[in-house]
Amino acid sequence: MNSLITDLAQEIFSGIALGSIYALIALGFILIFKATEVVNFAQGELMMVGAYVNFFIIQGIMGDLHVPTGWMFLMGLVGSILFAIVFGWFLDLVINRPLRDESVFSIIMATISMAIMLRALVSMIAGSESLVPQSPFGGAYFNLGGVIISVLDLTIIIGAIVLVSAFYYFFNKTRWGIAMQATSEDPIAAQLMGVPVKRVYALVWIFAAIVAAISGVLLSPRASLIDTNMGFLGLKAFPAAVLGGFGSIPGAIVGGIILGVIETVSMGTLSFHFHWVKEINDIIVWIVLIAVLMIRPTGILGTEEIKKV
Amino acid sequence: MKRLMTIIISITMFSLIGCGGAAESPGVTENEILIGNVQDLSGPMKELGKILPAGSNLYFDYINDNGGVHGRKIRMLVEDAQYNPQKTVVAVKKLIEKEQVFCLYNVIGTSPVEAVRPLLAESEIPLIAPATQSGTMSDMSRPAAEYIFPTDTGYDIQASILIDYAKEIDENAVIGVIYQDDDYGENVLKGVEESEAEMGITVQKESFQRGATDFAGQVMNMMKGGCTHVIIAGIVKEPIIIMKTAEAMGYAPQFMGISPTMDHRVSLAAGTAGEGFISANFAPLWNSDDNVPKLYRELCEKADVPEAMMGMYHYYGFSTAIVLVEGLRRAGKKPTRKKLIRGMETFNNWDGAGIQPLTYNRNDHGGAEAVTLIQIKDGIQLPITDWIK
Repeated sequence: MNSLITDLAQEIFSGIALGSIYALIALGFILIFKATEVVNFAQGELMMVGAYVNFFIIQGIMGDLHVPTGWMFLMGLVGSILFAIVFGWFLDLVINRPLRDESVFSIIMATISMAIMLRALVSMIAGSESLVPQSPFGGAYFNLGGVIISVLDLTIIIGAIVLVSAFYYFFNKTRWGIAMQATSEDPIAAQLMGVPVKRVYALVWIFAAIVAAISGVLLSPRASLIDTNMGFLGLKAFPAAVLGGFGSIPGAIVGGIILGVIETVSMGTLSFHFHWVKEINDIIVWIVLIAVLMIRPTGILGTEEIKKV
Repeated sequence: MKRLMTIIISITMFSLIGCGGAAESPGVTENEILIGNVQDLSGPMKELGKILPAGSNLYFDYINDNGGVHGRKIRMLVEDAQYNPQKTVVAVKKLIEKEQVFCLYNVIGTSPVEAVRPLLAESEIPLIAPATQSGTMSDMSRPAAEYIFPTDTGYDIQASILIDYAKEIDENAVIGVIYQDDDYGENVLKGVEESEAEMGITVQKESFQRGATDFAGQVMNMMKGGCTHVIIAGIVKEPIIIMKTAEAMGYAPQFMGISPTMDHRVSLAAGTAGEGFISANFAPLWNSDDNVPKLYRELCEKADVPEAMMGMYHYYGFSTAIVLVEGLRRAGKKPTRKKLIRGMETFNNWDGAGIQPLTYNRNDHGGAEAVTLIQIKDGIQLPITDWIK
C-alpha cells in the first residue's frame, strides 16, 4: 500500500512537470488569443526556435569564451529571450499587422503556414540532424520520502507557476494588461479610448514568443534531443488550453497539469493494475477533455463570453 | 499543316527512341543501368534522405570508376516522397513508367514499401534492400514478396535474439519490453510473443506513443514488475530518456535496444545512465577493421566526405549498394528484371557487403537472420558478440 502511494506520488510529480511544459505552451496560445482572438498554431514552433537559439548560444559561448557553466546557461536563457523579443515583434509585423482587418481565419491559416515554414527554415539553417542539448543541472535530483524529485523538473514547475502568475497579474492589475483585454473585446472602441492598439498587438506577440522561448529552453534538456519536430508538442498543449478554459491564464496551468498527470498515471499505475487501460492510453486525455467540456463547455476556469451581434 | 507535320515527326522520333530502349530491359542501355530510389528529402526522416543515397553513390562511383557492372555504369535517380505511403506510390509509379528504371532500390519506410507492393507485382520489378527493418518484408505470404529482397534482420527476429541473449547471460532474467505503439512496435511484439511461446516465459509489456517525452510510468512499471532486463523498441530519444529516468529512480536493469537505438547519440546524451546499454546491430561497426568498413573509410577520405555525414546510416547506404551491385553482376551481361531476381536468389550466406551474411532462394527472401550486439562501455560503442541468430 505504502509503495502504491509513493509510486503514485512519483507519477504525479512527473506528470506535473510534463503538464507544466504543456502549460507554458498553452500560456502562449492564450496570451495571443486574449488580446487578438487569434489562435497561433505556430506556438509550438516558436518554442522549437527558442530551443535552437538557446542551443546555439550555449554552443557558441562554450566554444569561444570558456565561461563557467552557470553563467553559460544564464546567458543562453537571456540570449533566447532577447531573440524572442525581436522575433515576436517581427512576427507581429509580417503576420498579424497585414492581416489585421481580414477574418480571424486568415490569420490562423497564416500561423499554420508559418509553423511549416519555421520547421523548414530551422532545418535549413541548423541541419536536420537532431542535436544533443546539455542540461544545466546535469542529472541532479533529490529523494523526498521515496519520491525522486529531479531538479530540472522542479525548475520547470516553478518556472511555469511564476510565469503564469506574472501574466495573470499583468493582465488583471496593470494598465497595459487591461488595455490588452479592452483591445480584444473591441479594438475600435479601445483605439478611440486612446489604447495604442498596434503596440498592444506587438507586445502580445512578443510576450508569446518569450514564453515560447522559455518553454523551449526548459523542455530541451528534458527531451534529451532537440529536433525540428519538437513543435508538435504544441498540438498537445492545445487541448490543455481548452480544458483549462481558453482565454483563462490560470486555466493554462490547471489544464496542463491535469493532462500531464492523467497521461503519466494512466501509462503507469493504472496500466499496471488494469490491463485494459493500456489499450486506451492514447485516447484517455481526449475522453477527459470531452467529458469536461460536456459539463463545462467553457473549460474548467473559462468564463462565458456573451457577444452582442 | 506545318504544325501537324511537326507533331507527327516528333511522335515518330519519340517512338523510335522508345523502340531503341525497348529492345533490352527498361533502364538498361549499352553503357548504363538506371535504378530508382525513393527517399524522404523533405519530411520527418529527411535527415536520412540525404545521407543514405550519399552512401550508396559513394560505392556506385567507385564501381563506375572501375568500369561499372559488365561495362555499364550505374546511375541512381532519387525521388522525394516525404516518408508518406501515398506519395511513395506516386514516386514509384513515376520511376517505373516515366523514368523507366531497371529496378528499385532502398525505398524508405515500412508503410511506404507496404503501399507499393501492388505496383511491384504489376510491373514485375524487383526492389533490392528496402530501407526498413520490419520483419514483414521477408514474409513470403504477402503480395509481391517474390520481388522484394530485404537486407536487414527483422525487428521480430532481433527481439527474439535479445531475449535469448538475456536468458543466456542470466537464466533468472525477468524480461520487459517498452515499445513504440505502431508498425515498428507491433513487429517487435510479434518476436517477443514467439519467444514467450517457445520458452514458456512471460515478458512484461509497456507501450508509448511516438513522440512521447515522459516515461516515468513505464519505467516504474518495469521496476514494479521486477524486470532485470528491459528491451527498448524506440529510436534515439526514447532509450536516452528511459535510461535517465531509471537512473534517477535508482533502478538499474540491463537495458537493451532494437537496432534503431544503435545510434552514437544515445551514449552521448545518456551519459552515465547509458553505460552498459546493449543494442542490436545489423552491420559491423563502420569504424571497425573489417574489409568493407576499411574500404568505406578509404573511399570517404578520397571523396572528402564530411565527418558529420559518416556513420551508421551513410554506411548503410554504402553496404546495401554493394548488395545491389552484386545482384546486378549475377544478373549477367544482358540483364533483365527476371534475371536480376534469379541472380539475387543465388545468394547463399554471402557476406561480401559488410553486413550480416545474406541468403535468398525462391521460397525464402528472409535474407538476414543475425545481428551483432554492441555495448556502450566508458561512453564508447563496442561489439560484444559475433553474428548471432
